[in-house]
Amino acid sequence: MADILTVQGLKAYYLMNYYGISREVRAVDDITMTVKHNEIYGIAGESSSGKTSFIKVLAAAIRPPLEVVAGSAVYDFGGQQVDPTTASPDVLKQIRWKHLSYIMQGSMSVLNPVRRIEKSFVDFAMEPLGLSGKAFWNRVRDHLAHLKLSPNVLRAYPHELSGGMRQRVTIGLATVCHPEFIIADEPTTALDVVVQKDVLALLRNIQQEIKSSVVFVTHDMAVHANIADRVGIIYAGRLVEEARTRDLFMSPRHPYTGHLVASLPRIGDTRQRPALEGRPPNLAEPPPGCRFHPRCPLAIDRCRSEVPPLVTVAEEHRAACWRSDEVRPVLDADLPRNRAEVS
Amino acid sequence: MKAYFLFALKRLLQLFAVCFAGISAAFFISHLSPISPVDSIIGRVSGRSTYSPEAIRALRATMTELFGLDVPLWQQYLNFWGRFVTGDLGPSLLAFPTPALRLVMIALPWTFGLLTATIIINWLIGNILGGLAGYYQNNRFLKAFGIVAIGLQPIPHYIVAFLMVILFGFLWPILPISGGFAMNVRVAWTPEFVLSVLHYALLPALSLVLVGIGTWFLGMRALVSNIVTEDYVTYAELAGVKRPTILFAYVIRNAMIPQLTSLAMTLGLIFSGTIIIEQVFSYPGLGTLLVRAVNEGDTTVVLAVSSIAIIAVATAIFIIDLLHPIFDPRVRVE
Repeated sequence: MADILTVQGLKAYYLMNYYGISREVRAVDDITMTVKHNEIYGIAGESSSGKTSFIKVLAAAIRPPLEVVAGSAVYDFGGQQVDPTTASPDVLKQIRWKHLSYIMQGSMSVLNPVRRIEKSFVDFAMEPLGLSGKAFWNRVRDHLAHLKLSPNVLRAYPHELSGGMRQRVTIGLATVCHPEFIIADEPTTALDVVVQKDVLALLRNIQQEIKSSVVFVTHDMAVHANIADRVGIIYAGRLVEEARTRDLFMSPRHPYTGHLVASLPRIGDTRQRPALEGRPPNLAEPPPGCRFHPRCPLAIDRCRSEVPPLVTVAEEHRAACWRSDEVRPVLDADLPRNRAEVS
Repeated sequence: MKAYFLFALKRLLQLFAVCFAGISAAFFISHLSPISPVDSIIGRVSGRSTYSPEAIRALRATMTELFGLDVPLWQQYLNFWGRFVTGDLGPSLLAFPTPALRLVMIALPWTFGLLTATIIINWLIGNILGGLAGYYQNNRFLKAFGIVAIGLQPIPHYIVAFLMVILFGFLWPILPISGGFAMNVRVAWTPEFVLSVLHYALLPALSLVLVGIGTWFLGMRALVSNIVTEDYVTYAELAGVKRPTILFAYVIRNAMIPQLTSLAMTLGLIFSGTIIIEQVFSYPGLGTLLVRAVNEGDTTVVLAVSSIAIIAVATAIFIIDLLHPIFDPRVRVE
C-alpha cells in the first residue's frame, strides 16, 4: 500500500536568542518514518520527549521559536504533494480540514467558550465541505449520530456539555469533512477510562468508515495497544523503535521500549514494576552517542560515543540500538488486550 | 428565561437601594455645607442698598421659612423625599422660584451629549484598534499608536484640556475654546445650530477622547494578546478558519466581555471627570451648574444635579448588567 506521509530526516529545533545568548533545543532530531493509507500510527514517548513538537510540524503549526532546520515531511493527497514545512499559507489553508485535520490536546479549551457548537461547525467545516444550508446540516447531523451525539448539542455552548461529549464533539469537528489524514494529540488523556474506551472505539469506527490515516499521540501505552496498527517510540527527540503493535509489545528491540511495555499493569500480577533510573535528557544538551545510554542497563562503551542508526531488525520492525538482539521483554506475560475487543 | 427575569427584578431592587442611599448621602452632605443660601441672598440684596437691621431680620426669617430651612434636618429630609417621589426637587434657592429640575434639564443635554459621544468613540475605537493591535502585533501603525497611547494615558484630562486650549485657542486659534455654541446662533433645531454645537464641542470632546481612548486601547491589547494564545484560537487557526472570523468571533468577541464590565465601572468616573472639563471650556453642562450651585449654597440644585447623576450612572450600570448574560452565556443568573 502506498504511503500517505513520508518523513525524511526531519529536524526541528527550538531556536532561541535572548540578549545575544542563543540556545537550541533539539526537540525533533532526525526522524525518518512513513504513515500508510488507512492505518493508525501511534506515537509514544514520555513528556518533553519531542512528540508534540513532531506533530506540530506535521500539522503545519510551526511557529517561532520552533523551526524546521533539515529534512522534509511530504503528504500525498491523491497525487497532490504537500510539504507542511515549506508549503505556502494558501496551499495549507486549502488542505486544512479537507485533507488534514487535527484533534488537539485538551478538549476542555479547544472550543470557543462563548460560541454555540453549531457556529463552530460552520466556521470549521462549511468551506472545506463545500456544502451549505440543508445539505450541510444533514451531513453534520448524520455525522454526530455516528458519534452517538444528539443534534441538540449543536445548540449548546461548550460549558453545557460533559467532558466526554465535548471530546466527541471535537472528534466530530475533525472528522466531519472525511479528511485523509488526522492528527490526534492526546485525545483521551483528560477522560476517565470508561469514557476513554468509548471515545477510542468511536475514533476507530470513524477511521475505518472514512478510510483515513491517523497519527495518534499519547504517552499511555495501553491506549496504543488498543488502537494503533503500528507504534513508533520517541525518546529525546529521536525515533528509537517502530513496529507493528503486536510485535512491539511482544518483542521490543530497544531497551527503552522494553521498560515501557514492562510498566504496563496486568490483571493478577502484583509484582512491583521496575522504575527506570534517571530522568529524560535535557534536549538543549543531549548526551553524546545513544541518548538513552545514561539510563540504559545494557549500555556499553560504543553506546556512549556512537549514535545507533534506526535499522530494520525484523519485518516492519526498526530499532535504534547497538544491542537490539539482546533486548528481552522484561515481563513476558500475555499481550495487552487486542483492539478488536474494544469496538 | 424565568431565572433571568428574577435576576432582573433583584437587580432592579438593588438599583433602587443604590439610588436611595446615594441621594440620601448627597442630601446630608449638601445640607452640612457652611454656605447658607439665605446669607448669600441677603448679601446680594444688601450690597446694593442699605436696609435696617429689622428689615434684614424679617427678610432672613421669611427666606428661611420659604426655603423650608426652619424645621429640623430630619424633617427637611422627610420633606425632601415626600417631594422627590412626586418628581418635585424643589425650587432653586438662588434662581427662586425656578424649579431646580428645570435648571438641571437645561444643562443635562449638553453633558449627556458630550459624554455619550466621547464614551462611544473611546470605547469603540479604543477596543477595535486595541483588538487589532493585539492580533497583528507587528503592524507598524498600531505599534506607534500604542506608544502614543502609553504616553498620553497617564496625563490627567484637565491638563490635556489646558493644552488643547493653549494649542487651538492661542497658538493656532482655529477652534472655539469656551461656551456651547456661537453667540449669534438661535437655539433651535436648525443645521446652523447643530453645526455650531458640534464645532464648540470639538475641543472638550477631543480632550476626553485623547486621554480616554488610550485606556481602552491598552486594556484591549493586553486582553487580546492573551486570548490569541488560547487553545481555541490556535485550534481555529489550524483548522483554516477564515482570518476575519477568528479575529472578530474568536478573539475580539471574547475580549469584549471584560471590557463591557469595565465600561460600567468607568461610567461613574467619567461623570465626575466632565465637571472639570466643563469648567475649563465654560461648557453649559451639569458640571458648570453644579460648581456654581456649590459655591453659592444652592442646596436644591446641588441635590438635583447629584440625584440625576446618581440615577444616570446607576441605571447605565444596571443596563450593562442586564446585557451581561446575553454577551457571556456562561454567566449564571440565578
